[in-house]
Amino acid sequence: MIQLFRVSKVYPPNYPALTDIHLRVEKGEFVFLSGPSGAGKTTLLKLLFREEEATDGQIIVNGRNVTRLDGKGVAQLRQEIGLVFQEFKLLPSMTALENVALAAEVVGMSRWESRKRAFHLLRELGLKDRHDARPQTLSGGEQQRVAIARALVNDPILVLADEPTGNLDVEMAEETMRLFLKIHEKGTTIMIATHDAGLLKRFERRAFVLQRGRLMGDSRLAKGEVAL
Amino acid sequence: MKFAQLAFVFRRVLKSLRELLWTHALTSGTMAMTLFIFGGFLLIQENLHGMLRGWGSQIQIFAYLENNVSQADLQSLLEQIRSYPEVEGVRFVSKAEAWENFKKTLGSQSGILEGLPPDILPSSLEIALKKPHRHRVSVTSLSQRIRGMKGISEVEYPEEWIEKLSLLVLGVQWAKWILGGFLFVATLLIVGSTVKLAILARKDEIEIMQLVGAPAGLIKAPFVLEGMIQGIVGASLSLLFLWLLFLFLRYHLPSSLGIFPSRDQLQFLDSGGISLLIFLGWMLGASGSLFSLRRFLKTW
Repeated sequence: MIQLFRVSKVYPPNYPALTDIHLRVEKGEFVFLSGPSGAGKTTLLKLLFREEEATDGQIIVNGRNVTRLDGKGVAQLRQEIGLVFQEFKLLPSMTALENVALAAEVVGMSRWESRKRAFHLLRELGLKDRHDARPQTLSGGEQQRVAIARALVNDPILVLADEPTGNLDVEMAEETMRLFLKIHEKGTTIMIATHDAGLLKRFERRAFVLQRGRLMGDSRLAKGEVAL
Repeated sequence: MKFAQLAFVFRRVLKSLRELLWTHALTSGTMAMTLFIFGGFLLIQENLHGMLRGWGSQIQIFAYLENNVSQADLQSLLEQIRSYPEVEGVRFVSKAEAWENFKKTLGSQSGILEGLPPDILPSSLEIALKKPHRHRVSVTSLSQRIRGMKGISEVEYPEEWIEKLSLLVLGVQWAKWILGGFLFVATLLIVGSTVKLAILARKDEIEIMQLVGAPAGLIKAPFVLEGMIQGIVGASLSLLFLWLLFLFLRYHLPSSLGIFPSRDQLQFLDSGGISLLIFLGWMLGASGSLFSLRRFLKTW
C-alpha cells in the first residue's frame, strides 16, 4: 500500500526534515508513526498525500508514484485517502452533517446521496443527534469523530491521521483509537502519527520510529515494549 | 465535470453572492464605470460615423457658371457632365433660385439683403455622384475635369469638412482604445482584489476541498463564474447609464448644434455595440478572476 525508497525532504534554506527513509506498509495494516515533536512525522504524512513534495527518492501509494503526479493525479490520490488532523479542520460555518457531506459532494456525489452517507456515518460514530450542530458547539471528541466521518465518507482505502488524539483527554483519546481499530477491521489501511508513548503502549501495533528525520526503528511491538 | 459538481458550483456562487453582496456590487459598479466611459466613446464614434455616412450621401459638387453662358452652352455643359460615369444627376440652379435659397438660409435676418440686386449670385450646377464614387479621389478628379470646362467659373465641394470629421472619428476611435485600455487594466486589478477577498473568505473551505481531492477546476469554477456574473451585471448597468444619458441628450440638447443637423439623428448603440460591451464585461470579469486565482490560489 505504501512504499518509500530513499526519501528525503529538505526545507529551504537547508533544513533536512527527513533523510533517506525506506519503509513499506502492506494493504490492510495498522501502523503507528512515532517519535518526538519535530521528528518528521507530519512531513512524512504530508509527502504521502502530496501536500509536500519529496526532495529526493520515490513514494508509491496504492500503486501510484506520488512524486510524479500532476494536479489531476493528486486530486485522484486524495480521493482514495482519508485524512484526520489534530486540529480537526472542520468548517465553523457548516453543520456536522454539511462538513462530512462536503467531502463527498466535491468528488461528484449528488447532494442527496452525500448527505445520506454523511448522516449514516455520523450515526455509526455515535453522533446521531448532533448532525445539525456546528463544530464550535461540539466537544473535542465529537469534533474529532465528525472529522473521522469526513475522512471515511468517500470509502478510502487508506486513512492517514496526524496526532488525532493530540487535543483530546485520555478517555476521548481511547475512544477515538477504538474507532480507528473498528475502521481497520473493515480492511482499511491505517497510519497514525503520534508522539504519545502511552497510546503506543496501550494499542500494540507495528510502529515506525522517527528521530530527527531519520527512521530509527520498524518494529512489530508487543504491549509494553515501546521505547522511544 | 459531473452534474452533481456543476450543481455544487452554482450553489457556491449563490452563497458567495449572498455573503459578499456589497463587495460584488462594488466591483460590478466599478466595471460599469469603466464600460460606461468606453461605451460613451463608442456612442460618440457611432454617431459621428452616422453623420459621415449621411454627409457622404449628400456629397455634391457645386459648379458656378460664368455670367454670360448662353442657353446652348448650358445644354452642352449639362450633357457633357451627365455623360461622366461618376455622375448620378445634374441640377441647374438659376440666379433667382440661388437668391431665394440664400434668403431662406438667412431666415429672419434676410432683411440685410435689401437693396441688393437679386441677380448678384451666380447660377450654378449641383452635381450628385453615384454611390461608389462618393469619396475624395473621385470628387477631386471630377472637379478638376469640370473646372476646365468652358463657362465654368469656380468649382466647390465639401472635401475639407469630410476630412476633418473623418479625423475626429479616428481620434475618438483611438481615444476609446487607449483610455479604455488603461481603465480595463485598472478594473482587472479591482476584480482581482475582489476575488482575492473571496478566496481569503473561503480559505479554509478551499483547503478542505483540496485535501479531500476536489478537482482544481471545481475549486476555481465558482470564482470564475462570479467574475463573469459581475462583468455582465457591470456591462448591463453601464448600458442602462448610457441609455439614460442618451435620452437626456436627445431631449435636452438644443435642436441645432451646428454639426448635428437634428437631435433626432442621434442614435443609440446598435446590437453590435451592445454585444461588444457585454462581451467586454464578461471577459473583464473572467480574466480578472483567473488572474487572481493564479496569484492567490495555491494549486498543485
